Order: sequence, then structure tokens, then C-alpha cells
Amino acid sequence: MTVIEIGHLLRAGTTGCVVGCSVSQISAPQFGGMVRINPEGSGDYHIYGLITNIHIDDDGLVRQLVTAADIKPEIISDNRMNRNVPVEISVLFIGYAQQKAIYHLLPPRPPLTLDAIYLCTPVEHVQFTGAGHFGYFRHILRASDLPVGELLAAHLRQVTNNHKDQGNPEWLGNATQELITLLRDDYPTLMSVLGALSDTRLNY
Amino acid sequence: MGNDISETIGYIVGGGLKDNLRVRLTIPPQQVQEGGFVVIESGDWHFYGLVTDLQLGSTDPRFADEQSERRLPEGIASLLHGQTLYTNLEVLPALMLETGPDLSSERYAEWRKSLGDREPRLIPVKTVPAHHAPVRLAQAGDIAAIFGDSSQPGNFIVGYTREQNHPLCINLDKFVQRSSGIFGATGTGKSFLTRIILAGLIHYNRSSVLVFDMHNEYGYDDTASDTNQRVIGLRTKFPGRVRIVGLGRGASIRGQAPDFNLEIDEKDIEPEDIELLYSELNLKETTPTTLAALLHTFGKNWYHQFKIMKVGTFVETEEGKRVPAPGSVAAWADEVGVNVMAAEALHGKMSRMFNKPYIVEQSVKNSVQEIIKLLEAGLHVILSFGDYETDLDYLLVSNLLTRRIRETWVKTTNEYRSKKNPEPRQLVIVVEEAHKLLNREMAKQTIFSTIAREMRKYSVTLLIIDQRPSQIYDEVLSQLGTRISGWLGDDADIQAVLSGLAGRDHLRGMLSRLQPKEEVLLLGWGVPMPMPVRSRRYDDRFWQELLGKGNEPENEEEIKKKLGF
Repeated sequence: MTVIEIGHLLRAGTTGCVVGCSVSQISAPQFGGMVRINPEGSGDYHIYGLITNIHIDDDGLVRQLVTAADIKPEIISDNRMNRNVPVEISVLFIGYAQQKAIYHLLPPRPPLTLDAIYLCTPVEHVQFTGAGHFGYFRHILRASDLPVGELLAAHLRQVTNNHKDQGNPEWLGNATQELITLLRDDYPTLMSVLGALSDTRLNY
Repeated sequence: MGNDISETIGYIVGGGLKDNLRVRLTIPPQQVQEGGFVVIESGDWHFYGLVTDLQLGSTDPRFADEQSERRLPEGIASLLHGQTLYTNLEVLPALMLETGPDLSSERYAEWRKSLGDREPRLIPVKTVPAHHAPVRLAQAGDIAAIFGDSSQPGNFIVGYTREQNHPLCINLDKFVQRSSGIFGATGTGKSFLTRIILAGLIHYNRSSVLVFDMHNEYGYDDTASDTNQRVIGLRTKFPGRVRIVGLGRGASIRGQAPDFNLEIDEKDIEPEDIELLYSELNLKETTPTTLAALLHTFGKNWYHQFKIMKVGTFVETEEGKRVPAPGSVAAWADEVGVNVMAAEALHGKMSRMFNKPYIVEQSVKNSVQEIIKLLEAGLHVILSFGDYETDLDYLLVSNLLTRRIRETWVKTTNEYRSKKNPEPRQLVIVVEEAHKLLNREMAKQTIFSTIAREMRKYSVTLLIIDQRPSQIYDEVLSQLGTRISGWLGDDADIQAVLSGLAGRDHLRGMLSRLQPKEEVLLLGWGVPMPMPVRSRRYDDRFWQELLGKGNEPENEEEIKKKLGF
């Protein structure tokens, strides 16, 4: 299985981090995608997270270019490929693995700057999301500043088929049921999450 | 206790002994009905209870208000409803039984040892099961453990559980030990239920049965008033054990002659028999005084003497004074110092009795004594009133006969206790329209209330059949051991049937929602816990199950075939 690197760490905290990458790498990561960080020199300590935001900041040149009347394609291409400001990817930590055991808890220490970030493989998807009983939903539901419904919908859409391929078609139903249990006292959020899940067109 | 998880219908979420237990249902609500018999397994105990209510609930009212199945895909909506919408059962806990640890458990031997010789037995519920204890519908084995095994003698199937059709028994030995009642509004299948119980009692044959058959229903074959179908009489199926007695000479019951006729000697009538007819004859407060004077003057012959007295006859004295003629009511009244008007009024009112052909000066044979002998010998007697269907006939004859029976049974019991005689045969007296004999005014005067209160010790009990239990005197009603009730609409009647029972508030609704003609509620001391059942059908199958196929009377064709014709 090919391991896809999507960038290097810019800054981090206990609950999440921001990763920088060049525009040429932007096709791989997607909103809701699961990533893994293996902090350098920490052996089999892996931190797992979900991409919650992909942010493209402007710079001085692009501010001038957008007002130009006629921008040539090569200028656009040059601006994108050679720009100095990286694309920023926000990651929400959802757990970690240590000595081959998976924990749906916040990582004990954050990764360091310039640690490499990788997209999780389907096998890692299944291993991490299939461990325990959806404890990592806690971290997602706590993030009130995020579009929780959209994030969960994107995450479930990416992971469900991997579980199906691994012979666990009930995973989606179980995950949805757990979300309902966790959110049944919060009617607006639950209906927003279920509305988003409906739009995934996943087969229940 | 190792039960298949698929049998579980829910789990305990709350409640208590006072407010009933609440059970979260995990199966569709349509699979459980009010009155369902459930078993709750908690630790080393089994709790047995009755579903008294089903309530729809939601974790948030908005989940119930919103028709989310219209907005969300079916799969998600179904998951949402499963988590947020639910049905709670209310379970009235009734009994508990220590079942001990699982047989395969290491603790089992220790538990068994701790019991010693004692066997775990059912006790009224005294504690509650734990939270989340699984709840399941009772199986045939549970029902047999509580209500008795139908294969054991004395256990008689009266019906079947509503959901799963398990047979449910009453113990006839227990049933006859105390007075019992069968209640239900008119047209709810009381007569059929009574036939079934009587057939059970006669077949089991541990007690004699005397039926006061006011409407000539139970002896010979009859036709059902609503379906016009033939209804088998008890005499037809038990020709050797049941005797039909018709009231009055030449009585005909359903076109057939009875085994013998009942005539009442005038000497057998006592003043209290007349007092019993207080409202029927519209008697006055002066009646007891007049009757006491009659008894004092004429002794046992008082009835005859009073009957032949004239009213309104006068003679002139030598002084030309107009005085009551000798042999008139007024003359007697003047003589003994009784109010003339009161005595003449009583005579006038009793003229309805004087005209009854079944009251004779001297009967050909002592038919009252014959009935008592039959009952003592273990036979069963159905006294059909024939054409004498008025309340007057019913009240007079049933009270008089029962009084005589009581005297005999009290005497026999006393002799038995002094070890002179064998034990008296258990007797059940079946009284229809019981409120006429046991209402508040009558209860103190009739022999029936005495029997209901104290005759258990003399081996005589009542089986009361009535459609207005609220009219029956409370003191009598509270003494009834087993109560079997069909549908009742009137609140007062429902309250009366449930009087003195635990959890009556919860049973009240159940009683008013019974299916007429199909369902009855078993209650009282004679049954371990209240239980609604689908009552047994009184049909050919019933007789086949009761008597066995070999005992069916054969028809002519079959007999010919057997003989080779």
C-alpha cells in the first residue's frame, strides 16, 4: 500500500495541529480525511487525526494579480507552483497508537514542527475506527467551532467502504447509532448530523 | 438463568412496588398486550408480574412530534426511532420466587445446601428487581409453576393466556374451599363460563354441587340466545351424576320431565323466609311483629293457619254489634293484640305465596330431604324453576332449601368433629342473580350471607353468579375467594369486583377492556395472582378434552357399525 505524504507540521497543540503543504500536494488531502503523524524519533508512537479545514492564504503578489485585467495561464500556474505561502491543513487529533494498542484519547504529547503527515491507508482506517466503541466521536462532537455534521458525513463516507471490504458491513449502522445515542439530548445537532449523513447517499 | 436472549422483550428501567415497574420494550409494542404475564429475572430471583399499561415515550418530545421518516432515509430514520422513541410497559409485580444460581454455576451447590429441606416457594412480591434486569413473556412452564400443571388432578383449565395461548388452570380444591364469584355484564359469556366451571367441578367430583337454575339453563340441552346453537346441558354429559329437580308437581324443563319434583311443605316455611321477601312483597315494618305473633299462636303450622284465615268477614253479636268473624285475620289479630290493619295487609301481600302450587300442606314425599340425601351421597342437583321464574319463587325456594342444607351440614360437621360420623361432603351452592339474595338489605336476613361468611368450616360454600356485583353486600363480597369476571362497564361494579385486592387501581382498566364473551379476569385468593385469560370455549372440543374421546356418547350409526350392521 502506497503511503501518501501530504505535508509537514507547522504548529501543534494537544487537541490538533496545522500542517503546511505546497499547492502541488493539494490533490491528496480532503476534508474529513484521516491522517497519521509519526513524530520523529518516537518509535511506534503514532498520532491520528481528521482533516477539519484546508486553508489557502493569500500573499502580496496574489493580491495584486487578482486585480489585473488579463492574467495569463502561465502566470496563474507560476503563482500556484512557486508561491511562498503554504496551503494550511487543520487537523483534529482523535487518538493515538502506542505499542500497537489504539487509544481514542488525546495524544500524550503533540508532534513537533516539520514532522511528516501521511494519509491513512484503508487498513489503518479499519484498524483505528474499528477499535473500541467509537470513543473518538467525543473529540469530533466537542469541537463546537467545526461543521460537525459535515465532518462526520465526510469521515463516514470515506471509511464505510473500507469496513465493508473488510467484511464488516454493520459498521456504518453501529456508528450512526452511537452518534444518535451521544446526541439524543441535543436535538438541533443530531438533526444536523443526520441531515448530513442522509446526503452521503450511503446505503444503510 | 440461561434463557435465550431472543425471548427478552425488554429491561427494567424504573418503578417500584407502589407505582409498578417500568420496562423499556425492545420489541414492537404490538407483540405485547395489556394483561400479559411477564417474568423478570434478577439475580437469584424470578419476579412475576402483569402488564397493566403500555406507554409511548421519547427522549425528547421533538423526536415524537417530528415525522422524521419523511425527512431521513429509511435506514437512518429507523435507527433514530430505535434510540429516541420507545414504548414503556407498566408491570404490576405480583409474586417472586427464589430460583438460585444457574445449575452450571459453582454457587448452585452451595445455594442448594443453604436451603436444607426447604423448597423455594412463591411469595408475594416484597422487593424489586435490579435496573436493566431482562424481562420476558412467561412460557408454559412458568404458568404451570404458578397456576398449576394441567395434567395434575384438581387443576382445571379455565382459559389460555392471551398472547401465547398457554393453558391456565385454577385449582378446584382451592376453588371450593371458599365461596367464589363469577361476574360479568349481561351477554359477556357468564352462563357459558359457569357451565365450564360446573362441568369441571362435577367431573373432578370432590364436591357436590347444588345449582339454583333460575332460567333452566344448566340441566338439559338448551339453545344459545345469541347464536341459536345447541348448548349441551350438564345432565346430558353426566347422566349418572346429575339429578334434575323441577319445582312443583308436573314441572317440565325444556320439554323434559325432571328426575323428581320439589314441593315445599307449609310447615317448612318460617317467618324469616317471609321477611326475606321484604321488598319483593313490599312488606311493612310491622311484618316481623305479625309473623312473630303467628308463630307464637300456631307454632309450626302458622303458615297454613294464616293462609286459611278470611279477610273482611264480619258477624253480628247478640247485641247487634258488628265484629270480625271467627277464623278471620281481624279476629285473630284482635285476640293476640296485633294491629288488625297490619295483619290484613300482610295476609293480602302473602296471597301471592298462598297461590303457589308448589307450596303444599303435606307433600307426597319429602323432596327437600331427598335433595339433601343426594347431595350427601355425592351427587349433583340442578334445581330448575321451570315456569316459576319470578323473583318471589327464586328467593323463597333457594333460601328455604339452603337453610335446611345448612342445618344438616352443621349437624354432620359437629358429629364429625366429635368423631361420630364421616366427614361431610364438600358442597357448592350455585346462586344466580345473587344480588337479589345478598344485597345490603337482605344480606343480614338470608342464609346465604351466613354461608359466605362462615360456612367454609362446615364444608359449604357459594358460587355466586351475578351481573351487578356492586349490589352485593360488601361483607359478603370481601369473603369471596376466587373471583372470575368478564367484561364490566359500570364503575361501581368494577370497584366491587376488585374490592380488597392489591393493585386494584391498575386492574380496573383491564376489567373494562376485556373482550366480551372471550376474555375473563381471574382474581382473588384462589389464584396466585390476577390474570386475564381467553376463556375456554364451551363446545365439543371442551367435552372431548374433559371426558376423553372414549366417553363421548355414540350416535346410532356408530353403534350399528360396531355391531356389524
